[in-house]
Amino acid sequence: MINQLLRYTIIYTVLLLLQIFLFNNIQFSGYVNPYVYILFVLLLPFNISDWLLLIISFLAGFLMDISTGTPGMHAGATVAAGFVRPYILRAISPRDGYLPDKELSMAEYGFNWFFFYALLVVAVHHLVLFYLEIFSFEGFFRTFLKVIFSTVFTVIFIIFAEYFRKGR
Amino acid sequence: MRNLLLFIEKYNRIILFIILESVAVYLISNSYQYHNTQLIKGVRKLTLTWEGVITDVKNYLRIKNINNELQAENAILWNLIEKYGLTTDSVLAQVNDTFPGAQFEIIPAYVVNNSVNKIKNYFTIDRGKKNGVDVNMAVIGYRSVAGITVASSDNYSIVMPVINTDFRLSSRIKSNEYFGSLNWDGRDCRYAVLYDIPQHVPINEGDTVVTTGYSAIFPAGIMVGTISDFKKSGSDFYTIRVHLATDFRKLTYVKVIKNRRQQEQLNLEKKFQ
Repeated sequence: MINQLLRYTIIYTVLLLLQIFLFNNIQFSGYVNPYVYILFVLLLPFNISDWLLLIISFLAGFLMDISTGTPGMHAGATVAAGFVRPYILRAISPRDGYLPDKELSMAEYGFNWFFFYALLVVAVHHLVLFYLEIFSFEGFFRTFLKVIFSTVFTVIFIIFAEYFRKGR
Repeated sequence: MRNLLLFIEKYNRIILFIILESVAVYLISNSYQYHNTQLIKGVRKLTLTWEGVITDVKNYLRIKNINNELQAENAILWNLIEKYGLTTDSVLAQVNDTFPGAQFEIIPAYVVNNSVNKIKNYFTIDRGKKNGVDVNMAVIGYRSVAGITVASSDNYSIVMPVINTDFRLSSRIKSNEYFGSLNWDGRDCRYAVLYDIPQHVPINEGDTVVTTGYSAIFPAGIMVGTISDFKKSGSDFYTIRVHLATDFRKLTYVKVIKNRRQQEQLNLEKKFQ
């Protein structure tokens, strides 16, 4: 239990630092802002209870908000991601089902499954995040384009990160 | 209680989700002026729509009363026509070309917004410059004083009612013709106070108070209200509480009275000031 806690704290810290010092500096034509730290919500254990998942998601987003000076935005987005995660897991469950002690990673369930899992959760996160940021439906399609491009790049970075973790 | 607990247990993740999202939105709206404004704009749009619906329903429910008032008023007007021996045709003809001899012109209007619970109350009517309504015109409710227009746009006008502490009205007690200044004390929207009536004048509860017409805004003799009680206030004058004839909480249909000779009177008076 303590082991788990330590493990996820390290994962989160690494992702937070990567996000702040690397990915937040990527401003590719104004349409690409990858938010790779959402990988943390993807990796949380399968058998975590729903309310704990929501609260941890909120805290993860909130810490991000504090670090980047955007109170509420990341928190709102990560809570949405944490909220849809169980539904997505149910929708794309692999043929043999999930094993409680297995990590929800590419190494355990394969590329195809992980790709769809990451794509859906990241899409929800980015959708909420960018619309909270603009906070109106004016310029709907411009924001939507931003969501799509950023999602693609975030998913690419997340897949890279998973390959890196697997190789280690 | 048990059902409530069951409900919370069943939907706990959705409830928690909503709570956490609300916290996030609260944080956002607290830290960004822009988001805050957007949120307030959205809420205001919602409340305005809802208030519009409520007003519509209220007006619909009151249609019968308004109808009765209008009928009674119509009857009085018809009686007047008969009294002066005018026929229907001649009245219509006068209305059509608003005959030049008339000093006062009447413009009917509906109250579209109203307040009674402030110190400086105002209400809005749906007639403006396009309909000939301008500032400093008298507004009367159902046969009694309501207020004075203080601003007008193309289609709307703002009226300062009697129940605004800035309102002053020269009015007289009908039975003995003494006049004083009527003013609202900011307390009860049913009562106003009449000052400057000297103490040697005999007055009674229930006496009628009407306008004097000195201001060139109100025609003379329009009902203001009735005396509800009075007391001697130190000096030589009475402080008289007047029960207003107009119920401002129910104001729906008003008439704006335009004095065509107002400018002429004021210009002449200016020469001697």
